[in-house]
Amino acid sequence: MSNSLDAYLVLSGILFSIGTFGFLARRNAISMLMSIELMLNAVNLAIIAFGSFVESLQADSSVIALLVIAVAAAEATVGLAIVIAIYRNRRTPLVDEYDTMRQ
Amino acid sequence: MTWQDLSTAAPLVAAILLAITVLIVDLIWPGRKALSITTALVGLAIVAALSATATPGTAFGGAYTQDALTSFLNVLFVALVALTIMFAPDYLESRDLPIAEFSVVLIFAMTGAMLIAASADLLLMFLGLELMVLPGYMLAAFAKRDALSTEGAIKYFLLGSFSSAIFLFGLAFTWGLAGSTRVADVAAHLSEIAAGGAALSPGLAMGLAFMTTGVAFKIAAVPFHYWTPDAYQGSPTPVTGYLSVGPKIGAFALVLRLFVGALDPLKADWEIVVIVLAALTMTLGNLVALTQSNVKRMLAYSSIAHTGYILVGLAAYAGGRIEGLEGLLYYGAAYTFMNLGAFAVVAALQRRPGVTSHLDTFAGLGRREPVLGILMTLFLLSLTGIPPFAGFFAKAYVILAAVQAGGANTILAVIAVLNAAAAAFYYLRVVVYMFMREPTTEGAPPRHGNLVWAGLWAASFLTIAIGLFPGPLLEVVNQAARALT
Repeated sequence: MSNSLDAYLVLSGILFSIGTFGFLARRNAISMLMSIELMLNAVNLAIIAFGSFVESLQADSSVIALLVIAVAAAEATVGLAIVIAIYRNRRTPLVDEYDTMRQ
Repeated sequence: MTWQDLSTAAPLVAAILLAITVLIVDLIWPGRKALSITTALVGLAIVAALSATATPGTAFGGAYTQDALTSFLNVLFVALVALTIMFAPDYLESRDLPIAEFSVVLIFAMTGAMLIAASADLLLMFLGLELMVLPGYMLAAFAKRDALSTEGAIKYFLLGSFSSAIFLFGLAFTWGLAGSTRVADVAAHLSEIAAGGAALSPGLAMGLAFMTTGVAFKIAAVPFHYWTPDAYQGSPTPVTGYLSVGPKIGAFALVLRLFVGALDPLKADWEIVVIVLAALTMTLGNLVALTQSNVKRMLAYSSIAHTGYILVGLAAYAGGRIEGLEGLLYYGAAYTFMNLGAFAVVAALQRRPGVTSHLDTFAGLGRREPVLGILMTLFLLSLTGIPPFAGFFAKAYVILAAVQAGGANTILAVIAVLNAAAAAFYYLRVVVYMFMREPTTEGAPPRHGNLVWAGLWAASFLTIAIGLFPGPLLEVVNQAARALT
């Protein structure tokens, strides 16, 4: 099973699951952001694996992976800016303390 | 990239140039609000004209497609962005928020939506989606010193990026196992599977399921809706108006391009998924809206319910009726104008900083500001679905299509009718507050700018005109639906 496409896809699935778990279980906004990055990197791993094991996908895979990296960077920029803005207002990065609207 | 490509994509190119132009104008003459707004509105008119007259064709090696659907959606996006820019100045000015940056970010978001509407490639859909939602997060946090605005924004951002990652994971597996990101190639691969020529591999099934989940988050379908109320309530009111319409219609453009374009061969399989999503979405949206005392939050839940009604059109299409798609597009246009109008009235009432969007703010509005009260009543009646307004015909078309499709769709149609009746309660409650309660606030009502009035009249005119004379719009949505299938 090692060094086959399936092995890499399973690894990517495991990484994605860890990211999902982190996103759902963590309370810190920065940790949640890191979990999302982990999920996006799992996607990239799957894309590169497809590219290196399936010949017809080789050319596309690097383009798609680079595009995903660029989008992830843009998303992180906006996300960190919002985290900084809310930290200035509330003095805490814990999302479950952002509950003014539920009262 | 050739000249041919650029001229086919002219509306999109013009929109990007417009955003840059407004940015530069504000850079050279900072603080000249009227100039920025004029530039933005004139530019938007040009983009709309280019979209309406664009010649059909494909560009960028077949990844970009310009057809009747693209034109229709582009004009709708331009209209809703223009109306949002008209409603915003009063509200933003009194809170010291810059209007020029607001317009620029809004127009950049519109370019993303236009890219989705024109995409014939899964990767382009994802790129357009991100281009549309990233400015959306920024707009939600536009009042960055306001605790509510940033709180809504972070919830919107976290759930939004989470759903984007899910969508992308599905996209990677679909691409890897179908062998292409082109919509036509994916559809060809899937029709082979549907015909029994090949087996649906577990990886591909998972990829399609993940993409569906990601899209369900974006349109705020129950049970993927929990980000909506907080994001809508926290954002500055003109932004809420935009968020309830722009990203939603954009996400429905994605639904059309993805489900009706790429996943069409499997529609017998996803029909039941859409039916269940639609039934859950409108029922839960309406039930929770009933209990809200904050009008912004109530309209947020009502927008979830409207997502459900729009999905009825998609379910009817999957059941074999193209009228479902026409109803979906008609609903999109009607919903845009009536919902934006309702939020514009809320924004106008909140002209003075510190005024909340609680129901009490609306008490006695019919006596204090009769015109505003009558316009709000008109939008609310249209949202309820009372003839002769646009909202009634929108509901009628999707529900009729569902009845014609038969099967499980008939049950969905019954649920939709029951929901429409239940929704009347919370919309009409606002009307009761406006005309039958004594005003709680003292003092003269605030003056509203000419731009706000122009926008309100335009939105109300369209809400009535689409309802009274549905012919021209039906013609357009008919062509758009046929271009897709």
